[in-house]
Amino acid sequence: MTTSKGKSTLSDLQKTCLNILIVVGSGLICLLLSPMRFPGIELLDVTPNWVLIWVVIWSIHHPIVDGAIAGIVLGLMHDSLTGAFPTHALGLMVVGMLSARLQRQRLIRENVVLVAFIVFGMAVVAATLIALQMSFHYLLWPNSPYLSLWQIWRTHQRVALSSAILSSLWTPALYYPLHFWWKR
Amino acid sequence: MFALRRWWDRYAARAGVAALVISLAWAMRQTQGAAIYEMYQVLTAPLQPGLTQAERLENAYVLELQQRVIELENQNQSLRTNIDYADDQGKVTIAAVIGRSADSWWQQITVNKGSTDGVTEGDITTGPGGLVGRVVSVSPNTSQILLITDPTSQMGVKVSRSRALGVVRGNVDGRVIMQFFETTPDVKPGDVIVTSSYSRLFPQGVPVGRIESMDLKKSPAPEAVIQLSSPISVLEWITIHPFEAKIDVNAPPAEIADDDPATP
Repeated sequence: MTTSKGKSTLSDLQKTCLNILIVVGSGLICLLLSPMRFPGIELLDVTPNWVLIWVVIWSIHHPIVDGAIAGIVLGLMHDSLTGAFPTHALGLMVVGMLSARLQRQRLIRENVVLVAFIVFGMAVVAATLIALQMSFHYLLWPNSPYLSLWQIWRTHQRVALSSAILSSLWTPALYYPLHFWWKR
Repeated sequence: MFALRRWWDRYAARAGVAALVISLAWAMRQTQGAAIYEMYQVLTAPLQPGLTQAERLENAYVLELQQRVIELENQNQSLRTNIDYADDQGKVTIAAVIGRSADSWWQQITVNKGSTDGVTEGDITTGPGGLVGRVVSVSPNTSQILLITDPTSQMGVKVSRSRALGVVRGNVDGRVIMQFFETTPDVKPGDVIVTSSYSRLFPQGVPVGRIESMDLKKSPAPEAVIQLSSPISVLEWITIHPFEAKIDVNAPPAEIADDDPATP
């Protein structure tokens, strides 16, 4: 998954190691940011979806399969911080594949506003997939903890919109350093 | 076969890395993210409040004691047992809230005390005012608390005044709903709700909140919206009480009180 391109003063091995370090480190930072609440980060009790931002930025620089794998891995890790059901892995896998598909148009990668727009759309996709899982659980499980479909989807509106707005606003903070690295 | 071989030659390393990374992530998920939360605890250490309120009070109190004359020592010691709440209660742990839910669909908090401080899974937590939640996973220095506002959190409760029984459930939107067992419960807004003896995961008699509004015509069971007595959204300190969940609620009681003599 980690390839080193181009020529520079660093050897290929060093570049690969540095790449692994940056990929793992930035992913970890996103996971560690998730439970944090610092001023200016909350909107209607919703925080930016850091992990999703990372997956989108990764995917627009990598092929579809890599996007899907990154989505699954980060999704499982996000699950470990919350709970096993509903899983984030499904939503983030779809997000990774969709974003990697959009990458075909080259101009997207260079334009931070377009990336922010993609994050906006993908945050809605991820929230929808979680709400869908809850809805299926509600419909198929007799003892489902969820009280009604109406409530799930009303919460979905609030969560999807707020997390989409916040995530797209915070996108540049992750985009610039990662894009700068992967562009080389 | 040849194509497969060629594919393998080209992508073996990539497939291996992908499998490794996915299995690592899976392992992390199975361990409830203990590694990440441990790291989080270390990284946020400078941001965490230092001494607990109880410890700060104790320090101030010890200083005060030193300045007093020796005749007051006995009196001071008795006051000290009153102040040092944590010691007084025996096993209660006071913990600081260091993180909130990692996603808006869950209602959890992370606190800075874990298994090294004697916290175990299933312990209940209270804040100023009443019940907060239940410890669902523990790492050496952190624990995850599932708040009572989470949809997967349910507990048996009763209305303190009329003993009307019901179940309190969290909701995806963060409100807390009580469903009554009876169709016409004796209840009015302002009634105090406490956990009942039917609650499997919580001890009985812990205050939960007050009835805010009711919908007694709701089918299949009448419902009421509960206003929690603990300010969950602004919590900074919580108290962890050791508690063992009752494993089998359906088991018959050991002794059945019966007036008639048992027939052999």
